[in-house]
Amino acid sequence: MKRELWNQDWFGPFAVTVLAIVIVGALKPSFLSPFNIQILLLAISVNALVAFSQMVIIAIGQMNLSVGAIGGLAAISFAGMMEVWGLPWPVAAVLSLGIGLLAGLTNGLLCAYTGISAFVITLATLSVFKGFNLGITEAQPFYDVPEMVKWLGNATVLGPIPWLVLPFAVSAVALWYLLFRLPLGRSVLAVGGNTHAAELSGISVPRIVVFAHSVSGLLAAMAGIMLVARLQLGQPSIGDDWLILSFAAPIIGGAVLTGGRVSVGGTCCGVAIVAIITQVLVLFNIDPFLVQVVLGGLILWAVGVNRIREVRGQRKAAAAGI
Amino acid sequence: MSGIEIDSAAVPEAAPKQGRQLGPLQRFMLSNEFGLIVLIVVFAVVFWTVSPMFLSKFSLYALGRTSAVNIMIGFSMMVVIVTGGLNLAVGAIGVCAAMACGWLMQAAGMNWVFATLGGLAVGGLLGAVNGVVIVRSGLHSFVITLATMSIMFGMMIFLTQAESYREISPVFTGFGRMKLWGVVPPMLLMTIVVGVLLWVLFTFGSLGRQILAAGANPAAAELSGINVGNMVIWCHALSGMLAGIAGFMLVSRTGAAIPSMAGQLGQDWLLPAFLAPVLGGTLLTGGRVSVLGTLLGGFLVTMLTGGLLLMQVGAFWIQTYLGLLLLLAVLLDLARRSYLARNKLV
Repeated sequence: MKRELWNQDWFGPFAVTVLAIVIVGALKPSFLSPFNIQILLLAISVNALVAFSQMVIIAIGQMNLSVGAIGGLAAISFAGMMEVWGLPWPVAAVLSLGIGLLAGLTNGLLCAYTGISAFVITLATLSVFKGFNLGITEAQPFYDVPEMVKWLGNATVLGPIPWLVLPFAVSAVALWYLLFRLPLGRSVLAVGGNTHAAELSGISVPRIVVFAHSVSGLLAAMAGIMLVARLQLGQPSIGDDWLILSFAAPIIGGAVLTGGRVSVGGTCCGVAIVAIITQVLVLFNIDPFLVQVVLGGLILWAVGVNRIREVRGQRKAAAAGI
Repeated sequence: MSGIEIDSAAVPEAAPKQGRQLGPLQRFMLSNEFGLIVLIVVFAVVFWTVSPMFLSKFSLYALGRTSAVNIMIGFSMMVVIVTGGLNLAVGAIGVCAAMACGWLMQAAGMNWVFATLGGLAVGGLLGAVNGVVIVRSGLHSFVITLATMSIMFGMMIFLTQAESYREISPVFTGFGRMKLWGVVPPMLLMTIVVGVLLWVLFTFGSLGRQILAAGANPAAAELSGINVGNMVIWCHALSGMLAGIAGFMLVSRTGAAIPSMAGQLGQDWLLPAFLAPVLGGTLLTGGRVSVLGTLLGGFLVTMLTGGLLLMQVGAFWIQTYLGLLLLLAVLLDLARRSYLARNKLV
């Protein structure tokens, strides 16, 4: 069944994003200055990977509380390997991505083969990974980040577009292709939609769960590494404040928390909306402490809208069925 | 035994033929609570042999004070887990209640009694808001409390401008420093009293039984005339108040109401909040509660933290050990349950 444009999952968030840009741009022309756009894109690039990391887990109907802890661990390993062992940055980056993958794999194996809820497992591993982070750094940042990495974190490719947009764009397209064009990704969504039915149709559910968690770990690690490049230091506190954001963006983008339904485009728009609102608070001199309140409010609003859509969809389906 | 299971009476009768008949003592020895007591004794002996300081008066007093707070946080989560939900906002509510109490004492100049009652009301109210939103929207408590945790914490930081309240009533701070018989902190007694009240509520109170029934099987409870929505709201309000009490305890211990006392968004409370009930054998799916188990679980966690710190295994690694402990606890529980099921002991 082909759905109309305005019924697509990403259409609502996209319309809100465009509207927000137009309104804020009209009120404050400085919002559309190249420098501001660059700042916005930087924030969106990193946050989008955080959101993708959670989105993959939401797709299988679970949750991953340890996204921030994995990102933080990858970030400090990246900076630490360069400072302490003197590794060249590409090697350090690949190794850190490997650490993220391994962390996600651990989550996945524990969730898939013990049958304990993902909430408890990832709460425990959150603490384990954060403990590794603090144990290694003793809460001191790694300052010695190579110039090349610092440059990559802040330089622009073309006009106001920073280099960091590249990993974001590549992973967005790759995720979309994976989830909506490859059999493996379709299996991920099938498991989220109806685990029992997926199992009966021959999908190995544990394997899909492990796969999704590994991808989630990889994406979280990538976000952590990018943040090191952007902040120009390996902060142990990287990832501490990702929890709310990682859920907010996919939910605003129309993801259903019971699984099976996510939207890559919608999640990107969700990230953009969050970034714009954060900037607006700064531009209009509103107390930055209110960001948390707005984020929480956005989640409530978005789940409310998703719920209404869901109920309406069920009613329509029931009517069509008769 | 304070493990209360709604259908525990039905299970032994259902399969008595294969199962061995167990006396009450044997049943207790197979329970979670007994396992926790054994663990507490074993670890106490281990820590004491490594460092005799562990059983000094000062160390025991500090242990009692810290465990009082951790157990209270565990209770706060427990009463929500009973309904089959969870409350991520315990930390945020606890800090909000404590800050409200501090504001009432410092800025409004209130007597400590009224300030405490006011803070308690704030905690209960915030919890009730969570409950109402969850029941009305029909959404899972995870996402609602995730959002409200951000909103509540953000509002608190905005209203207080991240400033601490330091003019705390001397009665309050005195309570935090008081020692009974040289070692027992009154806070621990308070926690035990709250625990006894909760135990009475869930064992003898009709409200408590209704809550357990609603948690075990909401549809069945609804059919037998229980207002499940109201039960959920009650539990969240109670959870908010208990979180508030935990917040007050921290205030009276440190002598100031500090916005960051539970970390960013109150996330630092999440681990103790889940560790105590899960170690104590409260089912995450709801319907089963063990007040004694939560109390022992909270105590064990605090003791392990304190003992590991005393053994100087590196303060920064503590979080890793606690995470591993949670993993181990749930895995052991899984193994214990499948062992009992295989040998038809339950």
